Amino acid sequence: MYFDWRTWGIWLIGFTILVVWIYVPIKEFKKLLKKRKDDLNK
Amino acid sequence: MNSLDYLIVLAFLGMIFFVGSIFYKWIGNSDDFYLAGRNLTPFILAAVLAATNINLYSFIGQSGIAYKYGIPIIWQTWTGNMAMVFSGLFVIPIFRRLRIRTIPEFLEMRYSKGVRTLVAVIWVFRLAFWLGVILYTAVTAAQIITGVHSFTALVLILSVVVIIYTMLGGMWSVALTDVIQFILMLSGALILLPIAMSYVGWWPGLVAKLPKDSLLLVQQTGKYSWKFVLAIFLLGIEWACVDQGLLQRAFGAENIRTVAKGLVLAAIITTPFALLWNLPGLAARIIFPHLANADTAVPLLLAHFIPNIVLGIIVVGLFSSQLSATSGNLNGIATVFASDIYENVLNRKATDKDVILVARIITILAGIAMIIFAYAVPVLGGAVNAYLTVIAIMDMPLFIIAVVYGLLWKRANWQGAIGGYFSGAIAGIIGQYFFKFDFNLTTFISAGAALLITPIISLATKNSPSDKIEHIWKAKKISEEESKNNNVYNIIPKTLYGKLSLGIFFLGLLIFLTGIIMGSQGMELASVISVTGMVIYFAGGLLKTYTN
Repeated sequence: MYFDWRTWGIWLIGFTILVVWIYVPIKEFKKLLKKRKDDLNK
Repeated sequence: MNSLDYLIVLAFLGMIFFVGSIFYKWIGNSDDFYLAGRNLTPFILAAVLAATNINLYSFIGQSGIAYKYGIPIIWQTWTGNMAMVFSGLFVIPIFRRLRIRTIPEFLEMRYSKGVRTLVAVIWVFRLAFWLGVILYTAVTAAQIITGVHSFTALVLILSVVVIIYTMLGGMWSVALTDVIQFILMLSGALILLPIAMSYVGWWPGLVAKLPKDSLLLVQQTGKYSWKFVLAIFLLGIEWACVDQGLLQRAFGAENIRTVAKGLVLAAIITTPFALLWNLPGLAARIIFPHLANADTAVPLLLAHFIPNIVLGIIVVGLFSSQLSATSGNLNGIATVFASDIYENVLNRKATDKDVILVARIITILAGIAMIIFAYAVPVLGGAVNAYLTVIAIMDMPLFIIAVVYGLLWKRANWQGAIGGYFSGAIAGIIGQYFFKFDFNLTTFISAGAALLITPIISLATKNSPSDKIEHIWKAKKISEEESKNNNVYNIIPKTLYGKLSLGIFFLGLLIFLTGIIMGSQGMELASVISVTGMVIYFAGGLLKTYTN
């Protein structure tokens, strides 16, 4: 079976960005949420 | 689309509405509404910037041009990304240090209140009309993809939800929904690429069946030749330094280093992303070789080859790109009006509460104006292009007075700024409509006139420096806030690693330009060299954001 490394290479870069941009912003948002709650409690 | 697809789209709209609206409680002051309280972190900011810069027109319009003229149109996005790195490293950190919210605000600081008000009024209309045009484009594309032919129904779907959540949660809603929308649009594009490529026999099929040179990135002749790459790069720098939608998000960054990181990361992630919508445009050229309207290429691809449910997910991705671009610009209009016109001219004693209320009202009014303009686009016909050209011509003089003279030449005064701004605009209009120059040349004429007239008028009139001019010049160096928080960002690096990263950045730029010049000679290696230069340029930029 033919494997098109060019197309799947581009796809993999896109997929990696997708995974990183799901994981890291959630982590950063949790920190923001905590900071916001702390600010409100002050 | 079938009922399951419609259900997916409705669930998405409901979810976005819910997420956008819950930030209503987070709005305590006007900085929360305009700039998400200046709290945005690097990866959130990068997603927000990427989502704002990619709209449905990118998927439809750019891939349509790729269908017609081949891959070189991708430089529109790539050079825009390079420009974003430039402004993120050297220009926007200065604006962020000044803690401004809008470019007109900077113009008052640098020149006078009159310049601020004038540019603010122009920007409010410019952004509202632009929103109308992208809404119209989005609706016409959505008609083909979704099978819903009612213009009004699609206008309402693509505007009501976004107007309400932007009005309620301001930049907080814009930012957090942008992150979700960025993920959804990337997911949609990731599904589309392999399906489109499989229908044309993957990469070898694409190369074999496309017309010669369609995959040549830097071309010697033609509409999208090496000249286009250079011109669009310079226009990109102008856009990345003064565009309200982009700047406002950058000003929401938690600190100055985050501004630089966010812009560089956004540029890096958007670069491979651009391939995900341009390659399907090229594939469509093989599948539907004789389309009268190239903009229908990708919509037709979706309507014919994407199975149901998957189609629903891709449509969600496409709608996401539209909503994120709309929300950002709506918030931009509200900010410019409330901050530069209402607070600064109409009611100088306004409280924070008054300002937020006005910003919310303006969000709704701007949304209504967007809808009216969307209906007006087909009626106005050629006038739309004329208007867009005029406002595009006026952007270049703004860049000259705000960034070139505003940040680099203290002697420029408000008389010179206004004179340069209008002479640039008038020269551009004359070039475009009387001499029928092409758009790229017109833009350079407009820039040239502003470059020439601003210093002449400034030197011929009294030197009346704004009392805040020293404050602006000080912003080029690290601030007390940065030193206090131990998070300094040097625009000109001080450490060896910092200098090395700057060296890599400029080496990349040099290689990129060499590649473009090689393209002008029709050399085969031009594309590889210019892309290599771009990658080195990004690497240098990224390293610079992590060093000092």
